[in-house]
Amino acid sequence: MGIENSPDRFKHLDFMKMDRRTFLKAVGALGASLFLQTYRSDVVKALEFAETRIVWIHGGECTGCSESLLNGGEPDVLQAFDRLNIRLEYHELLLGQQGIYVDGEMVNTSELNSEILFEEVVKEEGYILVVEGAIANGPNGTGKYMILGGKTYKDIFRKAAENASLIVAVGQCATNGGVNSADSDIKDLMDFRGVAFTMEDGEKGMLQELGIEKPVININGCPPHPDWMLLTLGAVVLGKIKIPDDLPEVLDQWLRPKVFFPPDSVIHDNCPRRGFYDKGEFDTVVSGEKCLWKLGCKAPYTHADCAIRRWNGYHSLCPQSGSPCISCVSPGFPDSSRPFFQEIEDVGIAGTNIDTVAKVAIGASLLAVGAHAIRRVAVKEAPERKEPEEAPGKEPEEAPGKEPEEAPGKEPEEAPGKETEGAPYKKAGKDEGEDQ
Amino acid sequence: MVEVTVDQLTRIEGHYRIDTQVNEEGVITEAQSMGLMLRGFERFLQHQDPRDAALLTQRICGVCPTSHSLAAAGALDQLFGVEDAVPKDALVVRNIHQGLNTIASNTTHIYVLWGTDLANPAYRDLFGNFGDTGKAVWDELLRRYAPISYRLNGVDIPVGVSYAAAIREKRRLHEAISLMGAKMPHSVLAHVGGVTYGPTLADIGQLASYYWQVMDFVENFALGVSPETWIENTRFASSPQKAVNFVVDRLQELTAASLVSNDFSHAAGWGDVPLLAAFGSELIGEEVLGLPASMKLDRTGGYSNPDTIGYLSYGVFYKPEDGDGYDPTSPPGSRVISSGYMDGNLKLHKFDHRKISESIAHSFYVDSEADRFPWEGVTEPEPEPDEIDYSRGTESRYSWIKAPNYDGMPCELGPLSRMLIMEDPLITGLAQLFRENGYPAINTYIRMLARAQEILVVASELLKWVTVDLDPSGKFAVPTDLSMAKDSEGMGLWEAPRGALGHWVATGPDSRVTLYQAVVPSTWNLAPRNTAGIPGPVEQALLGNRISAAENALGVDYTNPIGIFHTARSFDPCLACAIHTIDLTGKEEERVRVI
Ligand code: SF4
Ligand code: SF4
Repeated sequence: MGIENSPDRFKHLDFMKMDRRTFLKAVGALGASLFLQTYRSDVVKALEFAETRIVWIHGGECTGCSESLLNGGEPDVLQAFDRLNIRLEYHELLLGQQGIYVDGEMVNTSELNSEILFEEVVKEEGYILVVEGAIANGPNGTGKYMILGGKTYKDIFRKAAENASLIVAVGQCATNGGVNSADSDIKDLMDFRGVAFTMEDGEKGMLQELGIEKPVININGCPPHPDWMLLTLGAVVLGKIKIPDDLPEVLDQWLRPKVFFPPDSVIHDNCPRRGFYDKGEFDTVVSGEKCLWKLGCKAPYTHADCAIRRWNGYHSLCPQSGSPCISCVSPGFPDSSRPFFQEIEDVGIAGTNIDTVAKVAIGASLLAVGAHAIRRVAVKEAPERKEPEEAPGKEPEEAPGKEPEEAPGKEPEEAPGKETEGAPYKKAGKDEGEDQ
Repeated sequence: MVEVTVDQLTRIEGHYRIDTQVNEEGVITEAQSMGLMLRGFERFLQHQDPRDAALLTQRICGVCPTSHSLAAAGALDQLFGVEDAVPKDALVVRNIHQGLNTIASNTTHIYVLWGTDLANPAYRDLFGNFGDTGKAVWDELLRRYAPISYRLNGVDIPVGVSYAAAIREKRRLHEAISLMGAKMPHSVLAHVGGVTYGPTLADIGQLASYYWQVMDFVENFALGVSPETWIENTRFASSPQKAVNFVVDRLQELTAASLVSNDFSHAAGWGDVPLLAAFGSELIGEEVLGLPASMKLDRTGGYSNPDTIGYLSYGVFYKPEDGDGYDPTSPPGSRVISSGYMDGNLKLHKFDHRKISESIAHSFYVDSEADRFPWEGVTEPEPEPDEIDYSRGTESRYSWIKAPNYDGMPCELGPLSRMLIMEDPLITGLAQLFRENGYPAINTYIRMLARAQEILVVASELLKWVTVDLDPSGKFAVPTDLSMAKDSEGMGLWEAPRGALGHWVATGPDSRVTLYQAVVPSTWNLAPRNTAGIPGPVEQALLGNRISAAENALGVDYTNPIGIFHTARSFDPCLACAIHTIDLTGKEEERVRVI
């Protein structure tokens, strides 16, 4: 991602002939609506491809991801689906059906009864399963904290996952458990799971719990940008990403598409308030115009393209609106970002306190070389977490010949000099930031 | 007796089930409203910086995150002791923020979540009996409201034009929200002491431009007349009677022309609101306008016993003319849409927040007390899997939703309650009209028209906030410091699109949260029985009413209980909010939660 991806570069390309890299760059640079506009006629050709079926299921969530999806596409998400020849087979918020039982028996047909519809659509293999919301495993592994149409959601997820050719988890709740899995007294009792991770734990995804192995793409965010969802689906539908072979290369260690969650850059790089940061001018009261670092901005360690893509009509961004980035795309969100309004040097990240040496370093570097140093030091204090290598542990089956360690392991080398920016998910101690 | 279950009721937020017993005439004799999921994230804010609440609590609901963040900001204002000082322009920005969300949420509900039921094949069968006119009406319903991936008799139906237009409009409104709030859902902006962003002159221009684009939709799709004309003759009508007459006269004109032409299109002046206003009601459609058939939504969704139901509003939108600061208890008249409690006979009373309590007598929680006031609330989910059983009847526990009450009374919340309490002439007039003619004053029809009317009411205020009240050179926040929240408490009373929303917060000597609680609108609307055994509002709105389309004009169809769909969905259920979900509590005395 970056400035070299100016839209002009892609104008005269036939996207049907683009290689994957160019394609991903183009979608990264143009955004979903512009992309679909620009390549309207190509997309028409793509329609000759077979219809892609999407089954979208909802668990423990706020439905904000679906709300966000509805903000995508051009002129709307319905047309985007149409152009990509996607058939949305099942989606509780948008479809006409509902579950109907008479004296305990399912009645009517799949045209009116969503329970019958669901059984019909998951019977036939080869759909993309989109999962929104966390999956309840409690109490005691029964999953009974969420029972829909008489079945636990855990079972529904199992059923839907078994015949899926790809699982796309959208939003923090589905990717990592999100707010459902935040630390609490009853966290273990409730036992909400993400699809392939629960918070930063790559062993505790619901797929691992159920012993199901499927290729997974995580679209993080609370909620995710509609482009991230639509363009990922588009890339898969159009065959630009081969499932599962290309996944190890196009996803990061958290299974997020690198094109949207670039390992080598952070939101802070392109923040409109960046000039103030560089001058060391910080706001301490909200509604000002300066850098929000001292109000707790987490963008310096957040890997997402929010600052170049921008939100809702491509015009806005959290720090632009005077609010610190709360790193809502990070696997440990929200625990890893709280307290939102305190600067990291005071509190550390995810409860990790920055040691005295680091504090001294911050003080010294602020005086000596300006504010840049802060980021490095803060990042150094990243939370303890599993090695990235553990995360894609389920990849090998899907991608024979590609060592799981390969993808995440090579990130640091790819971006020399930017290591620190990739660091929040590194173990504290591996800190290249020490040179500060 | 036949047992008819809707599980899940889709096209709502979250997971929800309704169990009914229905007799041979199709009358519902028993109804149970069931929230199907627990979503606790306990201890969320305990020992935490209270300021996080404005951003975190909006994760309760992706449909009305704005309302949660603003209710939280209200609670924090008081917690930090700055509610007197929040600058007027910050209050105006909060109003704009909420106003846009209310319009977006009401629009999404009317068209995408509720309106889709108008394309139910029951109406093909019903209107099909009435010749060319009936067929033209059905074709129009399908052309407008068919959802995505809709099939009838194996034939793919194109997505409805109104359904698609509403999705585009919602998206536009979210863009407008994010001009100041960065992104939507889950915007930033709400903050203790004000807002995080001071809009520029350019933002104001853009907001106005979005506003007029949305008004184009309102005129061309929703109303068929200009929003100004509508508002002038309804909200600002000199009497409820005049407001009703304006609408009925307009419908009469349309009907006279269309019964001849059989053209019920938008182009012929039939906006979505007039179409629903005419064909939704037996009284207005059939008796007044002389239409051959109607959906009889005015005969469904009413309450058979006025003594077991009330209507509640906490009040919403600060009054810019009152300058800086506001009264957190929301006394009558202090907000643009006023607080108030209306009893089942539609008599208005003063609102007193101390009358709120909640019952867990029929919910899957473990507690020694059945009823508690919000400040003392406890949420201990049932840990025993076998105890989570939805089939044990009304005497037992059957939902994850609690049952909040006002002075012991279950209450309906939402646009209808707000429009009644603010005495909007059109909605007040309609309620009178129905009552005088032997119909339930409150019914599914008026509930939906109130939601549409509120869009117009809020829109007319919104324009004033944006173009007159907002001063880009004003102040948008007062400085606060965490130490100001020492040993304190705060209450934020607000109205989400679905109804009254309250957040309560308390802190200890270290300014960290000791209690956080939200009492949420859908909890009220979708409540199970309370401790006294009184059914919740949705349950009452189903009991004694019929399950089939148009009052069983086609005979009783247990397999397509569209009366249940219409009524339950007319409350705009939001389970993520409703489920006492979010117990943000901590251990022992430290409690933070949302019901
Ligand atoms: S710290 Fe935050 S507000 Fe400051 S420049 Fe970086 S991203 Fe922008
Ligand atoms: S800027 Fe930060 S908080 Fe905002 S959407 Fe992006 S990652 Fe999330």
